[in-house]
Amino acid sequence: MTGAQSPRQPLAKHSSARRDRESLPWLDAMMMPSLVVLAIVVGYPVVFTVLLSAQDYNLVGTEAARFVGTANYEKLAADPTFWRALVNTAVYTFGSVAVSLLLGLGLALLTENLPGRRGRLARALLLAPWAVPFVVVAFLFRYMYLQNGGAINALLLSTGLIDAPIRWLNAASLAMPAVMVTNIWAMTPFFFLLLSAALSGIPTEVLESARVDRASGADLVFRIKLPFLRNAMIISSLLMIISNFNDFAKIWAMTQGGPGYSTTTLVVYVYRQAFENFAFGYASAIGVVWLVLLLGFAIAYLRAIRMN
Amino acid sequence: MFELTRLGRSALCATSITLLFATSPGTSAADKVTITFANWASAEGTTKPAIDQVIADFQKAHPDIEIKSESISFTEIARQLALRIRAGNPPDVAQLAGNDTFVIAGTGKLEPLAGYISADLKARLKADAMTGLQYQGKLIALPWMLAPAGFWYNKAVMAKAGLDPEKPPRTIDALTTAMAAIKKSQPDVIPLALDTTNRPFSLQSNWPWMATFGAMPFDGTKGHAESPEMKRYLTWMRDLAKNGYIDPGRKIGEFRPLAAQDKVAFVWDQVVLQGVIQSANKMSDADFYKHWGVTTQPAGPSGKPYSFEGGHQLVMFADSKQKKAAWTFIEYLAASPNAIKTYTLGPGSSLPPLSAAPSPDLAAKMDTPIFKSFTTQIIPTVATPPFGPGFAAASTAIMAGVQQAVTGTDPIDQIARSMQQELDRK
Repeated sequence: MTGAQSPRQPLAKHSSARRDRESLPWLDAMMMPSLVVLAIVVGYPVVFTVLLSAQDYNLVGTEAARFVGTANYEKLAADPTFWRALVNTAVYTFGSVAVSLLLGLGLALLTENLPGRRGRLARALLLAPWAVPFVVVAFLFRYMYLQNGGAINALLLSTGLIDAPIRWLNAASLAMPAVMVTNIWAMTPFFFLLLSAALSGIPTEVLESARVDRASGADLVFRIKLPFLRNAMIISSLLMIISNFNDFAKIWAMTQGGPGYSTTTLVVYVYRQAFENFAFGYASAIGVVWLVLLLGFAIAYLRAIRMN
Repeated sequence: MFELTRLGRSALCATSITLLFATSPGTSAADKVTITFANWASAEGTTKPAIDQVIADFQKAHPDIEIKSESISFTEIARQLALRIRAGNPPDVAQLAGNDTFVIAGTGKLEPLAGYISADLKARLKADAMTGLQYQGKLIALPWMLAPAGFWYNKAVMAKAGLDPEKPPRTIDALTTAMAAIKKSQPDVIPLALDTTNRPFSLQSNWPWMATFGAMPFDGTKGHAESPEMKRYLTWMRDLAKNGYIDPGRKIGEFRPLAAQDKVAFVWDQVVLQGVIQSANKMSDADFYKHWGVTTQPAGPSGKPYSFEGGHQLVMFADSKQKKAAWTFIEYLAASPNAIKTYTLGPGSSLPPLSAAPSPDLAAKMDTPIFKSFTTQIIPTVATPPFGPGFAAASTAIMAGVQQAVTGTDPIDQIARSMQQELDRK
């Protein structure tokens, strides 16, 4: 019994200490400055956006903003470009995150046991894309994808793999996959870094005992390592989902949402509505929908952290 | 009491006078007015030294006016001005271009300029220089630099393709034939450089091509994307892409370095192309005129060539407290021989809005085959699109449709229909 009780004692102490802290009113007061700052920099824009979404407000119009209730949301529901942007956002976000996660995981497992200088060099090279600013990545890939004079087409043509240049960013069916490849290239090192760190945290005893039990390489990966990596994968994926949901720079620099609307995501659509058409009311309505979706991911992320 | 010596009295007197002048506000400082000038000329490396020089020269000539230049990038200026107008903090004067001029005019905060233009200046301006700058019946901008688009043809590429380099295509059919010959003889050359990106400038740039097919997809209030003329234009664009005659997705500026390397045969571009090519390949003026020519757009089914005016304008804000000084500055930038020589014909690479060169040396500078083509042939074909706050929203829908036609496989009828539906929703 003693053995079973002993781990609980610190927990009990911890709980009572927390209760004591909670009962001190000055601790709540200490939170006030942070809450005020948050209310100003986060709360005010959110509330203002929600209010704007119920108005017909054009920045360059001569008429004052007019309350229109749910009209912007009704317009949104009937706007095929919005729905297309939503689908594109989902494809871009989940597609990029899923492939990057798998690649990052594969690379982390492959380089896990690389020893000495070779290992360090390989890891440094694999991490290098993460150090390149996203806008630079976008422009690099844009120029590599060029139909005429792009490095990718030049390589494929010179090796005889293709007869005519491929319209990577100029074909509606290819533009989204091409942009996603860029994003995956830039994002994989993040997963690689996180999962490599998580892999190194697996207790050696667990792996040793599995080997003693004659576990195969596949058994080690699927029965030992992946269960250990589960939390790291969930948390890093949720983080990247939130980050990709907001990704504007890469798409704007590469395609500006085109050709047509084939790579227009929600953030690109909001930008066009707000800063090209100056339709702030309508753009705010899209922003509110976007916010609600992101909030869902943020809650999932917080829960994952708590579970962790 | 002690008596001051004569020397002491003189010293005291001199000190008093000096102190009096030193402590009283200087007349020059008190009377000096400050004009804020929002512009992208000072934000770009190629034009900054010239515009800074023009501003310095202006201040020297007008010691009572100080110019505070505010650098804002070309792509940002309309957004920033719109926000500043809403915040009640617009500049006195701003440089604008294309639809942005009319977007800002839509706020109702631009000062009408007709009353400021003297009879002398009116007489010196080109007859039609201000026709496209009216908004709701009022002149809202003064043309600073004229930069219409012309049909540039590379004589060397044409000759290699077996075409007569002195006879550029005059019709769409002749253009198609020429592009086919160029593609066949020089597969690595882009036959026609057209900007098909999705931005208001691209619609402005493609507007003359739509017009020569008789199409007008947007009239300022309503869309007409499903007209047979528009469908014909879209079909032509699709054929251009299918045959590899255009390279979609590039901005016009991205074609210019290629033009300097003879990798483009025909370019739909402004006067600035000459400067970019020459700075890239160090070609002399004489060689350039042997190598390149510019003329009017090949005419489509409408039988008429068109162009667009891509020049820059100067606007004054109605909230300006220094309107007289602001106008003095605007007039200096647009019409003074110094500003034209240092900026407009220099790094500005554009034409002044005047009907005649203001001095003999400027007349000599403007006496080139390129400037002559623009002045005599191309400027008369300029057709102004229905600029205004609705144009930007329409441009997103129209250019998305053009891109779908150029890069996709959906039937043209379907593309035109979805374009029209989107214009109806705007």
